[in-house]
Parts: sequence; C-alpha cells; structure tokens
Amino acid sequence: MGNKIIKRINLTTVLVILTIISLGVLYPLVYVISAAFSPGNSIASLNIIPFGDGFTLDHFKHLFNNTKYLIWFKNTLTIALGTSFLTIVVASLGAYVFSRFQFTMKKSMMLLMLILQIFPSFVGMVAIYVILLRINGLDTLWGLVLVYLAGNIPYNTWLVKSYIDTIPKSIDESARIDGANNLLIYRKIIMPIARPIIVFLGITSFTAPWMDYIFPKMILRSADKQTLALGLFSFVTDKKNEFTVFAAGSLLIAIPFIIFFIITQKTMVTSFGSAAVKE
Amino acid sequence: MNKRLKEDGSSRKKILFTSMLFMGLGHIVYFKQYIKGLFYALFEIIILFMIPTIVSKLNDMVTLGVLKPDLPVKERDHSIFMLIDGVIVLAILFIFIIVYIISVRSALAEYKEYCIDKRIKTNKESISRALGKAFPIFGLAPSVGLIVFFVVVPLIFSACVAFTNYSAPKHIPPNNTVDWVGMDNFAAMFGGEAVWTSALGRVALWTLVWAILATATCYFGGMIMAVILMDNKLKIAPIFRGIFILPYAVPSVVSMLVWQNLLNGSFGTVNRTLIQLGWIDKAIPWLSNEWVAKFTTILINLWAGFPYFMLLITGTMTAISSDLFEAAKIDGASRFQVFKNITLPMVLYQTMPLIIMSFTHNINNFGAIFFLTGGNPVVSDSTITSAGGTDILVTWIYKLTVNLMKYNYASVLAIMIFIILAPFAIFQFMRTKSYKEGEF
Repeated sequence: MGNKIIKRINLTTVLVILTIISLGVLYPLVYVISAAFSPGNSIASLNIIPFGDGFTLDHFKHLFNNTKYLIWFKNTLTIALGTSFLTIVVASLGAYVFSRFQFTMKKSMMLLMLILQIFPSFVGMVAIYVILLRINGLDTLWGLVLVYLAGNIPYNTWLVKSYIDTIPKSIDESARIDGANNLLIYRKIIMPIARPIIVFLGITSFTAPWMDYIFPKMILRSADKQTLALGLFSFVTDKKNEFTVFAAGSLLIAIPFIIFFIITQKTMVTSFGSAAVKE
Repeated sequence: MNKRLKEDGSSRKKILFTSMLFMGLGHIVYFKQYIKGLFYALFEIIILFMIPTIVSKLNDMVTLGVLKPDLPVKERDHSIFMLIDGVIVLAILFIFIIVYIISVRSALAEYKEYCIDKRIKTNKESISRALGKAFPIFGLAPSVGLIVFFVVVPLIFSACVAFTNYSAPKHIPPNNTVDWVGMDNFAAMFGGEAVWTSALGRVALWTLVWAILATATCYFGGMIMAVILMDNKLKIAPIFRGIFILPYAVPSVVSMLVWQNLLNGSFGTVNRTLIQLGWIDKAIPWLSNEWVAKFTTILINLWAGFPYFMLLITGTMTAISSDLFEAAKIDGASRFQVFKNITLPMVLYQTMPLIIMSFTHNINNFGAIFFLTGGNPVVSDSTITSAGGTDILVTWIYKLTVNLMKYNYASVLAIMIFIILAPFAIFQFMRTKSYKEGEF
C-alpha cells in the first residue's frame, strides 16, 4: 500500500519536472509564433504574455508586399537544391572509388580529407573570394554552390565510404562477371544499397545552406541575389529591431523545417548514429 | 633507339630512363600505347609552355610585389593576388609531379607484365584496360579539383598569411603591398604584445571550457531525458519527446536570434516577465555581463543541443539487449543500480565517438556564439583586439577578418585551431575500421 503511494508521488514529481522543462523548451517558440501575429514592431513593445496584444496578419503582408521575401526564398531554394544534388553525386562517386579501388596515395588522400574537414570553411575566405573573383563567381548563386559543395566533400566522402565499405565486395564481383562496368555497378548496385546514407547526405546538405550567413554575406552583393538568412538577419540588426517581421519570416521557414524533421528524424538519427558508430 | 625489350627484366633501366625523359615517352616508344602516352605528353607540353608564367608567378610570391606609389591604383602590384596565384601554381606543380610519378610507375608496371606475357598488349586490350583504370581518375577528378581549389589552396593561403603583415591599416593592397615577416605575428601573439597575448590566452581558454561544458551539458541533459522518457510507466512519454525535439528541428540561426532578443537586458521579454512576476528587482544582464553571458551561452546551447543526444541515446538504449535488464532485475538490482552499472557504461561506450565529434564541433561552433551574443559583451581589451567576453577562436577569427582586417593575426588563430583539432582528426582516422584492418 505505502509502496504504491510512493510510486505515485514519484510519478507525479517526474511529471511536474517534465512539464516545467517543456515550458522552458516551448517558451521561445511560442513567443515567436505570438510575435509573428502581434501588432507593433520591436520586441520592446510586445506584451510579455504571448498573444496579449491582439492579432494581425500585417507582418506577413509586409513580407510579401514590401520585402523581397519570395526572391530570397527562391534563391535559397536554388542554392540548397544545387548543393544537395551535386554533393550527392560528387561525394558518392568519390566514396565509391575510395572504397573499391586501390591507387597511389589513397591513404594520404583519406587522411588529408579528414584533417581538412576540421577547419570551418570561412578560415580561407579571403582566398575563396579572390578565386571566385577570378572565375567570375562573385555575386552569383553557382559561386556559392561551389563553395558549399567543396566544403561538404571531405567529411561526406568519408561518411559514404564507411557505408559502402560495409557492402560485400562479392556483389560487385558477380556483377562484373556478368559484364557490368564500373559506372554501371556504381549506378545500379552500390547507389541503391547505399540509399539510407545517400538520403541522409541529401537532407543534411539541403538544410545547411538555408541558414548559413557568412558566405552569402561575402559572396552575394546585389539585392536580387540575397538569401533568406541574410534577409531575416537584416530585420534584427543593431540599427533596427523589427522583431515581429523577423518572427513572421522565421515562422514561415521554421514550420516546413519542423514538419520535414519530424517525418525524417527517425531515419536521420539512426543513419547518423550508425554511420558514426560503425566506422 | 632500340625498340626491342628483353623479356628477362633487364630493360627496366631503359624504360625508367625513357619515361623520366619525357612524360608518356615510354608508353609510346615501347608499348605502342599512343593515346595514353599522348595524354601524358600533352600534359607535360602544356606545363613546359607555361614555364615563363610559372617562374614569374613564383617570383611574385616570393617578393609579394613592390610599392609603386606613382602608378594608378589599378596597375600597382597586388600582393594578395600574387600570393594566391603563387599557391595555385604550387598546387598545379604538385599535381604535375604526382602525375609524372604515376606515369613512370605505369610504364614500369607495363614492362613487368610484358616480361610475364612475353608480348606487348594489343590495342584492344590496352584500351579496355585504360577505360577500367580511367574510372577512378574520372570519379575522383571533381572531388580533387574542388578540394584543391576551394579548400586546400585557401587554407594554405591562410597559413601563409600568418607569416606576412597583411593587416589594416598599413598593409592592405592595392594601395600598399604586403611583406613576409617571418614569425613576427607569432611572436606578437605569444608574448610580444601584452594586450594580444592576454586576449589570446583568455579566448583560447574559454574556447576549451566552452567546448567541454557545451558537450557535457548537452550529453548528460540528453541522457537524463532519454532515461526518464524510456521508463514505460509514463504513458505520455511520446508527447514530451515530441516537444523536446522541437529545438533541434528549428534552424539554429533563427532560435539563437530569437533568444538574443528575448534575453536583451533592457527590453527583452525574459527580464520584463521576471520583473513583472516580482522574482527579481532589476534586470539580469544576461548578455551584457561577461560571466553571466558565458553562463547564458552554455544554457542556451543546452536548450538547442540536448534533443540531439536525447534521440541518439534513446536509439542506443533500445539497442541494448533487454535480457540484460531482466537479469539485473531478477538479481534484485535497483533502478539506479541498473542505470549506473548497465545503461551508463554501455551508452557511454557506444556513443564515445559522437561525444568526440560533438566536442570538435563545439570548438568550431560559430553560430551558437555569434548569433546569440555576437561574442559580446566588450571587455577591457575589446577595443584593440575586438575579442569580446564570449568570443571563441572561430568567432574571433571572423571579427579579425571582417571588422579589423587583421588577416595576419586571424591566420595565427586558424593555425592554433589546427593544432588543437588535428590530433582528434588523426585519432578518428586510426579508429576507422578500414585503417584497423590495414586495408590501405
């Protein structure tokens, strides 16, 4: 009897603690949603109670009518799709070669790539700027895609290579006996089996460009080439605070992200976890 | 030239000599592999034609240009272009040497087969051979090209800048030139200039403390949540789990900027709420006091980072065989004992690589600092060094590059990051399965 009461008290305490933590976790998110629909501009004028100021859609109208939100969105989507697609092709092709072929300096190349991926890419940004200047890549979306792609390759080639290593070589051998060449084996056999890691790679390289700030800031200059991160950031600088517009813009981008994430989280975490643990 | 090769392997020297004389010559003269040989030869011819350019570019890299104040700005020597061109030329020369070595080796391998087969391969054989061999080359070419020009060259350039005086206000091209200064920047940062030395010590120490605390709090925060929610008596655990992963799903720049606004000292919602509730009398300087701001960055990073480890550890725990728990229960172990003796060690062992990865990620966690505090608040040396109270090495590098244009000091910091993180990368490499199995 007493045991049962203690258990119940325990459970209640756990529930209370979890509820408090949930409130802490949800607090900024709820506040962003409320700010997006609240009249007013800066965060200083907002009621401390969410949704305490009334309701308006003005900020969304402002985004679409008076700012270049749609252009920012289109630019970012282009960059993200380009980066994602090219990363998949280049990294998986490289990973396949590293996994299945023997050649001079293979070991040094693998080690070099592992060392290279520890640097944040912006360490070399002066040189990247000059190189893009030379190939007319400044203020272009493809210039930015090239920079992201190059930054993605070292780590992701490793990731995919570790996965392809787990695919038995006997599968390729039997295909080779049947007359398949390397490209065919890569396309029809390796890629389909490696699908989980390819999906993971596609998702991570698709999501990263949405919120990167440094490289777009450096490479993209003209107003029609801005990305979402640059645009959103411009609402909450030191000089002006349009928190409500920022909240509205962020909400529009965060919601698809969250939905997408919840759909994919299981695959994401398992493939990420296993890819790293198995190595 | 005597085209007959001996089959006992004694013509090896002859082949070595011919292949080294001109790239691809061995293939053409002895093995009748005209296409392959011409490809090699063409590469060498292009490089030979470029020799004047190569020499002048390398010379420019050594001198970094001379000051020509009387010329219009556009025609003056631009030291930075010279340095980058020099690095690119070196990269091309390096690739050339590698290809040269490969060509000689390939000729020798060809000869070895000749000695065994006693005949030269037919055209058909060598073409299909070449196609098979060409696959790895074409497969790697995009990766190698991109990495060389967008990763390696920029990084080598940065490393070079650490040995120059490339910095505002006196050495910014094209108005002025940049010069090699040897180890001067290192000397200045490590003791030569007291302000910079103390700032470097402060920032480097905080970077390490930050990375350790950020990783540890997120890991154990995530683990506690995973363990509590795994308890099957809790029927609504999935709801809580759903709430807890939200911070991970929101793009981090957005959440950090939101927190920055919520925590603003004077008009931020958090302080206004706490004052309204009567819990505090005056505003808490969340982001404006050095030590409180440090605490805030760790706290907000915990908010953003614990879901990742919660998901991961939940996954790992489900993989631990339930027999183990049953056996422990039969033996009369309490829940805490089960956790301490079974769950914790197994999860720790399984996730150790990810803890290390998370640590190295946090050393470089630009977004978590820059978008929350901007590296602020300012401390006594901030006006000179631009390093604020919560700046870590990477955010400081960014500020030195973008705000102060002290590229030389930024490069010294980049080299420091390399020294801190390279051992982890090598450790990771030695731990990989393919390395252990000696596959390379």
